[in-house]
Amino acid sequence: FTALCILNESCLDFGNIYASQIIWKVKNRVVPKEQYREINRTVSSVTFNDTSSLATPLTCNILADGQIEQNIYGITVTIGLPPEKPTNLSCIVHQLSKLTYPMTCTWNPGRHTFLDTHFRLKYRWPQENFPDCIPKDVNNSCTITDVQFFVNLEVWVEAENALGEAESDPLVLDPIEIVKPLSPHNLSVDSGILPTVLKLSWENRISAPVMNLKFNIRYKIFGDTNWMQVPPEDIDSPRTSFSVQGLKPYTKYVFSVRCMKEDGAGYWSDWSEEKTGVTTED
Amino acid sequence: LGAGQSIQKTYDLTRYLEHQLRTLAVPYLNYLGPPFNEPDFNPPRLARATERVPSATVDLDLWRGLTDNARLAANYRAYSRLLCYLRALDGQAGTAELRHRLGHFCSSLQGLVLSIAGVMSSLGYPLPVGPAGPSVPPGTSVAPNDFLKKMDDFWLLKELQTWLWRSAKDFNRLKKKVPPAVVTLRLEARGF
Repeated sequence: FTALCILNESCLDFGNIYASQIIWKVKNRVVPKEQYREINRTVSSVTFNDTSSLATPLTCNILADGQIEQNIYGITVTIGLPPEKPTNLSCIVHQLSKLTYPMTCTWNPGRHTFLDTHFRLKYRWPQENFPDCIPKDVNNSCTITDVQFFVNLEVWVEAENALGEAESDPLVLDPIEIVKPLSPHNLSVDSGILPTVLKLSWENRISAPVMNLKFNIRYKIFGDTNWMQVPPEDIDSPRTSFSVQGLKPYTKYVFSVRCMKEDGAGYWSDWSEEKTGVTTED
Repeated sequence: LGAGQSIQKTYDLTRYLEHQLRTLAVPYLNYLGPPFNEPDFNPPRLARATERVPSATVDLDLWRGLTDNARLAANYRAYSRLLCYLRALDGQAGTAELRHRLGHFCSSLQGLVLSIAGVMSSLGYPLPVGPAGPSVPPGTSVAPNDFLKKMDDFWLLKELQTWLWRSAKDFNRLKKKVPPAVVTLRLEARGF
């Protein structure tokens, strides 16, 4: 970084002042003379190869007659970097209620820029732009409150500061493919006809026209720590109940269920609340 | 997207729209209020109203006899017009909750128009040009009174339900004609 201080010609005529008398200061500390260069009688330059020593203010001063130092001019200096290209953009749709599906996207904002840098999450359909999502208090994520399913959405991130701008690679996705559904609820356990069977029933909180579900069921003997799982292939289709077999008679079991999109796209829900049931006597 | 995938997505979206409309119907009719929210309310279809909201009533044999291109174009035009009407409506509906859901439905419907356009281009069909359908003839005033305005709003819901019901069948049939893996090649004969 190089700064120039240019004296007005009148300084020479009346003030008997020349560029050679200029003293550069950073925050009132004199800059070493080696960094000065007298370009001509009225112009002096100062160069900072290592900007870490540069700070605000940078002032141009003159040692006038009578050894009185006088400030001629000064600038404020802000050191920073242009934004890097945001990377690792990924998105997830968290189901919050039967009808509410906000989509949260996160990204790596890149190096610290030391400057006020603005990020925007942009998204559009082929012929429709949607309002930008402006992150609040963070620079690496944003939540779009209302997404549409079954239409491919192009999503990308833009970063901008005083020194430049950068844009992430676009992500093309159908929000229905990245849903984390709410877990099944109202789980109930009923003893079956046989002493080795317990029947689970539950309610799904996502409607079929939105998504068909598959399930995982885990269970353990009450007080045990090891969970067992129902073979996933037995429960990989839409349902609201399942009879778990091969249990020990007259034994108390704990059950929990989770779900995800039937074709495996998206994320598993959290496990449901646990419910217990006791098999009948043999 | 390939043609098959595009059709599958459009079919899923149509079913999703039907689902949304089912959950919207009761609060929407309650917003219109009596007599529109009474179960046995079954008014005649006024000719004037068909110009504002495209009627879904068609001769099924005629409809089935259409080419895929013509049927897709008819769907495209109908939903474009229904979307225009719905947009004019969704800002006024009573409760904030209903406005939010109508707004979401409106966006979904816009997505359907785009999806149908996507299917048509993936099958090599041109998009219908010009306005989305017979514009309201000059002189046909916007509903002259509140009751007739609500009648139009009532028919909007009914026609949407019928259009979506039939479109789901259209796309289901079309989906079977174009298996997902097929790459649609359109060879054009050109003079050399």
